Amino acid sequence: MSERSHQGDEADGARVLLLDLAAEPSALDDAHDALDQAWEEHPEVGDAERLRFVMAAMEILGNVVEHAYAADEEPRRRRLTLEVRRVDDGLLGTISDNGQPAALDLSDVTMPGEDAESGRGLALALAALDELGYERVEGRNVWTLRCAPRG
Amino acid sequence: MIDIDVSTDRGIAVVVPHGRLNMVAARQLRETLNGVIEGGTNRVVVDLAETTFLDSSGLGALISGLKSARQAGGDLRIARPTPAVLSVFELTNIDKVLRPRADVESAFDV
Repeated sequence: MSERSHQGDEADGARVLLLDLAAEPSALDDAHDALDQAWEEHPEVGDAERLRFVMAAMEILGNVVEHAYAADEEPRRRRLTLEVRRVDDGLLGTISDNGQPAALDLSDVTMPGEDAESGRGLALALAALDELGYERVEGRNVWTLRCAPRG
Repeated sequence: MIDIDVSTDRGIAVVVPHGRLNMVAARQLRETLNGVIEGGTNRVVVDLAETTFLDSSGLGALISGLKSARQAGGDLRIARPTPAVLSVFELTNIDKVLRPRADVESAFDV
């Protein structure tokens, strides 16, 4: 893979997973399958941690697939990567894509009212994680997901 | 595509999604629930015992179904969520409007 995330370079810890996928809806199930497989190889990752991590990762991946690309972007050009590392205090995920900059402010994200049919994705990811970051790095959107053991 | 079983007994439809209710499957569930309600069954139980994962779009599909059922004079109830699915209801505070029921048979008793 030619493009790597900055967070990945800085992070210590063992890589649990690295995926490079077409940024389309099928990426959700492909990533989910790969994560399920990765947990089998990493029994040291606790159930509660991986549950929260997968919940958040699927919301961010869904957001990328749905919103990151202009309608006229050539499907072949749409790529995303997911990297997961085991760090001292839990899991560190990096999701990056070559889509348009995300127009959002994570400090503004709130859980919508109970009869809303959409708009819970980022709020759910924030609730599941200990830290969620977004930045634009060298023409890519880079999401950082940190999940530490609780309790 | 996931498998979604639908059966109707004594005026109550039971909808059973198998597998992951993610963004892709949520569209399917939304259509299934609409079809059931438009078909004239306004009381629906979504049995989540076989649902291994639920994301915000799956939740949106359930809320869409809940609103449609109520507009049609009925209701939508959920039953038997797995721990992974239950945690999504709790984190989004949806357990207040969609209170998980312990079983399918008694989901409409109270």
